Amino acid sequence: MTVVSAFLIPGSPLPYVQRDNPPWGKLADAMDLAGKALLASEPDTIVVYSTQWMAVLDQLWQTKPHMKDVHVDENWHEYGDLPFDISIDTALAEAAVKATNEASIKSKGVNYDKFPIDTGTIMVANFLNPGNKLPLLITANNLYHDWKITEQLGQIAGAEADKLNRKIAVVGVGGLSGSFERHTINLAEDKVASDTEDKWNRKILSLMEQGDVKTLLAEYPNYASKAKVDMGFKHFAFIMGALGGTFSSATVHGYGPLYGAGGAVVEYHL
Amino acid sequence: MSKGEIIAGFLAPHPPHLVYGENPEQNEAKSQGGWEQLRWAYERARASLEELKPDVLLVHSPHWITQQGHHFLGVKHLSGKSVDPIFPNLFRYNFELEVDVELAEACCANGANMGLTTKMMRNPNFRVDYGTITTLHMIRPQWDIPVVGLSANNSPYYLTTEEGLEEMDILGKATRKAIEDSGRRAVLLASNTLCHLHFSVEPEPPEDMAQEHPENYDGYLWDMRMIDLLRKGKTKEVFKLLPQFINESFAEVKSGAFTWMFSAMEYPELAGELHGYGTVIGTGNAVMEWNLIKAGLAQAA
Repeated sequence: MTVVSAFLIPGSPLPYVQRDNPPWGKLADAMDLAGKALLASEPDTIVVYSTQWMAVLDQLWQTKPHMKDVHVDENWHEYGDLPFDISIDTALAEAAVKATNEASIKSKGVNYDKFPIDTGTIMVANFLNPGNKLPLLITANNLYHDWKITEQLGQIAGAEADKLNRKIAVVGVGGLSGSFERHTINLAEDKVASDTEDKWNRKILSLMEQGDVKTLLAEYPNYASKAKVDMGFKHFAFIMGALGGTFSSATVHGYGPLYGAGGAVVEYHL
Repeated sequence: MSKGEIIAGFLAPHPPHLVYGENPEQNEAKSQGGWEQLRWAYERARASLEELKPDVLLVHSPHWITQQGHHFLGVKHLSGKSVDPIFPNLFRYNFELEVDVELAEACCANGANMGLTTKMMRNPNFRVDYGTITTLHMIRPQWDIPVVGLSANNSPYYLTTEEGLEEMDILGKATRKAIEDSGRRAVLLASNTLCHLHFSVEPEPPEDMAQEHPENYDGYLWDMRMIDLLRKGKTKEVFKLLPQFINESFAEVKSGAFTWMFSAMEYPELAGELHGYGTVIGTGNAVMEWNLIKAGLAQAA
């Protein structure tokens, strides 16, 4: 089996940089659980789609073999640095670039010193792959790609991994509901900003837990619209593409607020 | 200390292609040129800036996006390599800049006093965004004038356009007061493209000017209509049309720099000088200047 585990995680740095804040600490604990589950699934490579790596031209795949640096989040800079150490499965990345182009989705690799790695991808590296034990395959969120194309990208990543006999863990990085607090809040009292959005998030997570894929796929457009979901929930489209459109059930390791927006750590059972 | 003044404002767009086309030492990527009309427009703007002799340049960039408030660069010296995440093949620029932290802090404090959420960026490892760097390089490649960098709070996208631009208006007022109190002679840089509809495929080579033209004719017509009004000094009419312009041409002025700059200048009904217009991957870019000294609205050095 190519896909050995799959996860949805938030891309916000807040659980990482301020773990001692109770609402965010719970999500950090959930990330730790996801990291253990990922490691236990014994993948060769972690395949990452992060909504925060935004592209406009082409579908971009990271092809630089190794990146070790420090990133500072453009919004949360006061919480300090985000160091990262990431290795790339370059053979799989090159295969993905080729296959994506062959699927008529114009695509290219990026291999540049100091290329800005996004915060969401760094959260994968630091929470799910501490110590850089496993190589990553990282691809961008092209803002003009819809659900269908994003799902296709997940399919391509899975298919190319299969050809190379890679066992992969798939990680979709992005938020749930998107209403956030615009002004300074009491961090300890952070909560999902809208009751309606909170209900929607819980409904979608419940459907995931039940493995009700049919209802999930029917509901996601409404959810994306009503709860202002991060990037139209394309990170879930990527996961579904890699999983071949189905999973049996899911474990929600954590759900909570991220400065008013919703975030969840979900493990899908295959 | 004499009262500070805003001595000019520039519409100073930031396509990294302009730096790439110029081939400065700081940029790793090299080209055979390209986008000359816009680069020559910036040459005229550079000459004007040289005559203005400002103490400080303030730049508002749509590529430093912040959700919680309006942020200001607050580290005295910042350096590093800025790689454009969209065009890494064109822009990998080694930058080094000095920040006027005192003025930035005053802008930040005034914004807060006027009801905005504001924040200073104090992290020395912060990577300055490519919009800020491109605009600053194109207007002053010597990098010898201190800067104040302002983020683009995403309120025009998260709220309505009108609500978001109201915040930028307040930010402009806060900026003006800070400049007046500081005694500085300041130039404002609105780092914005006009019509922002663009191609989705890059030519090979990227500087193949045979491929460069407006992506959208209606967007081009909007650009010409707005530039014509700006050249005639019909500022009120421009701002009356602004939401429609933004909506119909996907104009990047939505991100707030243009409104911030005009608010800080108190929306003068002053004819802007068009240094040049050109497209970059189909987007519309104008380099324009509002010289408040020439207009008698500010004192010469």
